Amino acid sequence: MKETSSRIKNISRIKYDQKSAEYWGPTPDEARKKAVDKSKAMVDKSTSLKEAVQQHIKDGINIGIGGFVNTRVPAAIIHEIIRQGARDLTLSFQSNSICSEWLAGAMIVDPDRVSIKRAELAWWGYEIIGIAPILRYLNTNGMIQLDDYTNYGMSARFKAAAMGIPFIPVRDHGGTDMELTNRGKMMECPFTGRNIYLVPACHPDVGLVNVTAADVYGNARVFGAQCTCPEIAMASTHTIMTTENIIPTESIRAYPNLTEIPYPAVDAVVEQPFASYPGACYGNYWFDMDHLRYYRGICDEFRKTGNRDGLKKYFDEYIFGCETFDDFLEKIGYKKLRKLRKMDGAQPVIL
Amino acid sequence: MGYSAVEMISYTGSRVLEDEKIVFVGTGLPIIAAMHAQLTHAPNLYMIYEAGSLAPILEIGMPLSVGDTRAARKACYLKGLCAVFELTQRGFADYAFIGGAQIDMYGNVGSHLEGDVYEKPNVRFPGSGGAGAMAANCEKTIVIMALEKRRFVNNVDFVTSIGFGDGSPDYREKAGVMGSGPYRVITQHALFGFDEETKRMKLLEVAPGKTPEEIQENVSFELLVAPDLKEMAVPTEEDIRLLKEEIDPEGYFLKKATK
Repeated sequence: MKETSSRIKNISRIKYDQKSAEYWGPTPDEARKKAVDKSKAMVDKSTSLKEAVQQHIKDGINIGIGGFVNTRVPAAIIHEIIRQGARDLTLSFQSNSICSEWLAGAMIVDPDRVSIKRAELAWWGYEIIGIAPILRYLNTNGMIQLDDYTNYGMSARFKAAAMGIPFIPVRDHGGTDMELTNRGKMMECPFTGRNIYLVPACHPDVGLVNVTAADVYGNARVFGAQCTCPEIAMASTHTIMTTENIIPTESIRAYPNLTEIPYPAVDAVVEQPFASYPGACYGNYWFDMDHLRYYRGICDEFRKTGNRDGLKKYFDEYIFGCETFDDFLEKIGYKKLRKLRKMDGAQPVIL
Repeated sequence: MGYSAVEMISYTGSRVLEDEKIVFVGTGLPIIAAMHAQLTHAPNLYMIYEAGSLAPILEIGMPLSVGDTRAARKACYLKGLCAVFELTQRGFADYAFIGGAQIDMYGNVGSHLEGDVYEKPNVRFPGSGGAGAMAANCEKTIVIMALEKRRFVNNVDFVTSIGFGDGSPDYREKAGVMGSGPYRVITQHALFGFDEETKRMKLLEVAPGKTPEEIQENVSFELLVAPDLKEMAVPTEEDIRLLKEEIDPEGYFLKKATK
């Protein structure tokens, strides 16, 4: 295959540093070896978030964040990571709001505890609620390195990793400034002779997902939009999974077609109701616009004034002041959670 | 009959969508426009939502996010991002319905940043999200944008969503994308298309009471004007009722005022 390019340079005006063609996490060979070396025994992987994070989250790793914007995001796992601290992180996700903003907010509060070195992503914001203030702060101050793809690009990158291949051809990015700034490459297709864009596989060291239901081995069902959770779990060298419900393995075996993530891809299973709150989880609860707006408002205040007090107070109250995610949910209160459950509209799930 | 800017944009978006097609929608006005089309002239129009749903039935309220549970309700196919973008690459998505911060005369759209330096822009927006992939591979791209000079620019700071590039006939082919490219640009005061030969933005319709000169004043580059320039159709009382009472009764999007 021959490297080539579109005509983007005819219209591009952006200045950028060329990125080298390297992986920002485990290479395909390293990821393959980790998978091969794993025990494939069906053992009870249920644990606590405290233990799961202690065991798998280290400084300098690539964390793959599941869900999509405010949907089925791994909020509970992010809380525990912030409590325990992790520095020099690389984040990988397609679109996220509160999870990446919590980590970034924690970095503002105490960079010795949590810091993000870079992110490979498609989108970081709150949709209808607004832009992500801390992302804007970090990026416009040159404090975080970004590598931009489309939502399909990031999803396809996780998929390539999940397939065990080093890159995947996609029909987007070409002819845009992402072709210049990201690590993908425009090549001449050996079969059609036409230009085709290749994006590198994305293997996180640790994938974070919240699912509708799973057994104690990590066989998981995902109802509602699956986002890119199955691909992220398969791509990651380790996966921490929260589940709204732990279900019996007989149920998994009764309907094996419903399993979207198979047990060998999962290392820790934590039963945690409302694990995506303030995000939504189909069949369980809708998202909490009020809390998302509340935290976003605090972040925007910091961005505008540079005053960290509001952020510090938020983290002290809702994360550092809680031992577990249940403590956090207790602060949100039963009435609010009950209302969000109602707003889900009782989407049908099979447990 | 009075109507607001966002109502005009939603109504025009609806008008542009044909029946028996699939539209890949972004959050906000694209969803409203597609819902209006389904309720009026396009009952066999279906939506793709990028978190993974095809043809949901929006019976528990308008989705506030493209990943919203409401957008997954009673879908006929519900998977993830890979599945719906692959439907798109394969050729099953007729329209991309996107927004952005800046657009140039060839329909290239920027939604990453404002500034000169990628590593340290003046302003950072959320990023491509689905837009870059939709503009590449849906068959036709529809863009919604407020008509302002700072948005209709000579050069997009960072091209997120491919249009016709530099206007050369094979720009998109060399870029490796599949869709045919920009189709319509919808604003509150004007509807634009693109000239087949030059690929440049062309004024097709103006809102009642507006002149092409007034439109040009809000655009940095020189517009082509269609020889058969038309007046934009305006929403009827029934259209406004559908938009406000049936589609967005909570006023999440239609309450917002744009200039």
